[in-house]
Amino acid sequence: MKKLVSLVLALAMLLSLTAAFAEDEVVTLKVASIWSAETEANRKPMLATLDEFAAAYPNIKLEVEWYEANAWKETGETLALSDSLPDVFYWNAGGVLWNLVGSGDILALNDYLTPEIMDRMEPGLLADMTFNEGKIYQLPYTKAASMLYCNTELFDKYSVKIPETWEELITAIETFKANGVTPMTVGGADQWPTNMYTDIIALRFAGDAACRAAYYKHEGATFMTQDWIDGMAAFKQLIDIGAFPEDAASLTRDESEVPYFAGEIPMYVHGQWFSGSLSPEMQQKVKAVKFPAVGKGYDNQYMGGAAEGFSVAAYTEHPDEAFTACQFFAENLSKNGYIAGAGLPAWKYDFSGIEGLNPVMAQIKEATSTADSMLLWGNTALTGEDATLIGDTVYDVLTGEITPEQWCEDMETIFE
Amino acid sequence: MKRVLSNKWSIAVFVLPTVLFFTYIVIIPIFKSFYYSLLSEIPAKVGDASEFVWFENYIKMFTPGRRNDFPGAVLNSLTYAALSVFIQLPFSLLIALILSTGIKGESTYRNVFFIPVVISSVVISLLWQRIYKDLVPAIYNIFNLALPKNGFLANKDTKLMAVFIPNLWQFVGYHVLLMYGALKSIPTDVIEAATVDGASAPRMALQIQIPMIKPMLKVCLSFSLIGSFKLFDTPWILLERANKQLPALSMYVEMFSNHKYSYASAQAMFIVFECLAFTMLLNFIFKDRDGIESRKGRRRLAA
Repeated sequence: MKKLVSLVLALAMLLSLTAAFAEDEVVTLKVASIWSAETEANRKPMLATLDEFAAAYPNIKLEVEWYEANAWKETGETLALSDSLPDVFYWNAGGVLWNLVGSGDILALNDYLTPEIMDRMEPGLLADMTFNEGKIYQLPYTKAASMLYCNTELFDKYSVKIPETWEELITAIETFKANGVTPMTVGGADQWPTNMYTDIIALRFAGDAACRAAYYKHEGATFMTQDWIDGMAAFKQLIDIGAFPEDAASLTRDESEVPYFAGEIPMYVHGQWFSGSLSPEMQQKVKAVKFPAVGKGYDNQYMGGAAEGFSVAAYTEHPDEAFTACQFFAENLSKNGYIAGAGLPAWKYDFSGIEGLNPVMAQIKEATSTADSMLLWGNTALTGEDATLIGDTVYDVLTGEITPEQWCEDMETIFE
Repeated sequence: MKRVLSNKWSIAVFVLPTVLFFTYIVIIPIFKSFYYSLLSEIPAKVGDASEFVWFENYIKMFTPGRRNDFPGAVLNSLTYAALSVFIQLPFSLLIALILSTGIKGESTYRNVFFIPVVISSVVISLLWQRIYKDLVPAIYNIFNLALPKNGFLANKDTKLMAVFIPNLWQFVGYHVLLMYGALKSIPTDVIEAATVDGASAPRMALQIQIPMIKPMLKVCLSFSLIGSFKLFDTPWILLERANKQLPALSMYVEMFSNHKYSYASAQAMFIVFECLAFTMLLNFIFKDRDGIESRKGRRRLAA
């Protein structure tokens, strides 16, 4: 009996020892994610991603905290002050990321990013996540892009060609106008929908490099060039020939989109998320194309790009595992988000076998996959009062209070 | 009870919680805002401190630039204040005088005028948004009139007035009720005596009723003026966009869109001082008049 008891005890000890060893192998990572609300489009894709991660890496345990987006931005910045950011976390790209990179809170991921991983990512998305001479601080899970949404039903009805050049765009507008159809819509009262138009037109005239330099306030950048003036003058031309509703400046975005959803307006420039708002019926009618060319050589450039992703804290105790999680989140959320219709993928994945995908979103994915470059919108790249200024001044152009030249002069003040 | 209230200590005990609370949420923030308004902006980069720049933010506030028009915003709020004082209040007074004569359906009218006051500003704004965007254009169309370019709420010549009208309309009922209450509290023997002496209605209003409700008129004036200087909710919703054409709007945009906390604090302090100054001015004007009136009264009595 005594022997049996000691045997059992020895066995128990052995078991607990192995258990302890096994415990040691499990690494726990702290993760912060936004999309705390059940209604968020990315909530379910993120939950699916976490499940996939748990299945793929049983030895990495995740402690996930969910936040509302703005609350997390404030919390994250506060945590950064005391070097206590979680191991892996959601963060915005651009200026907000640069703040944390500058204060030494974010791990550069270059050592971990093998060519094989880089190949799986859509090209050209890391521009706003790369600082300090090529160091990559974030991995994107989605990308944005503004497109020209054409209602093919109206184009067919009035025998108008979907515009590929500026001249064709003007012809299309004039034809629709002559038939009593308002050619385009914009919610001027909300300001930023108008910037969707001016940004893409400025990009066509001034090109990615000049726009990027201006929006990121690079040394020597300026708005006082003929290209910028021409761009704003082209936008003014659209207003003058009556492309937009008479009261566009007092419409909110919601109000401005109502006639588009009702199939009364043939063209609209807006972000990729708009395709998610289209009814299944409208999804069959609408074609998303790239904004018409103006022949300055910047015709395959897009506004949008990757503006959010996952980062790793510089002081994480498990950098290898944290990178694994960060990369896994970015890549799998990209896939799951696209399937759910929440956004465009930032990573390459074969979606051919999957049914029920939004056809308009698929067109955008297709078009942007060969983009020469992608540039964040001016009011996103600029921060604080500069962002307010670009909204205010574009609104003033829309209402006719200032001329394109005055717009350039006003915007030039951001460099002072 | 009387004994308890006559004891200064017990009064202090009763008042203390409110005093503490008031100090914490009103007095201290004012001083804090003043302190912030003397600092430079906190740089965008986390962790950097700001330094004293003394009155630089105040100077900046009154240096008009193409995109900095705080003086213009103040002027707009003064215009609104003038409209309140010279149109809203006289109109309210007129209605109150008519109501107080005891016309048929007195209480119904009183309630109807008061309804807009109890409705939330958000509802009022949305209501008027529809009026400006649908109803008024429809009426213009019937009479073949030209609509202002971009619509009433976006046209720079019409939008401020478009914002002021709902506000003027909304608070008429409020002032009517205050004045009506005061008019009703005038002793009936005074009115009767005047009627017996053959005073006409306008004369009674000008020489008896209005002088007798002067304290209430002062209250209405202060409410109206202070309300004008801090007008925020209706324009904010009605105009739907970051707009800096009134002091409170400008302060909000500078603070929460532009993240210029110090500059916005300076604007906040300006609004506080402006309200204080006008309240003191009102006190001064009315105090002097009160003095003259009572001296006149005493002289008349002596005679």
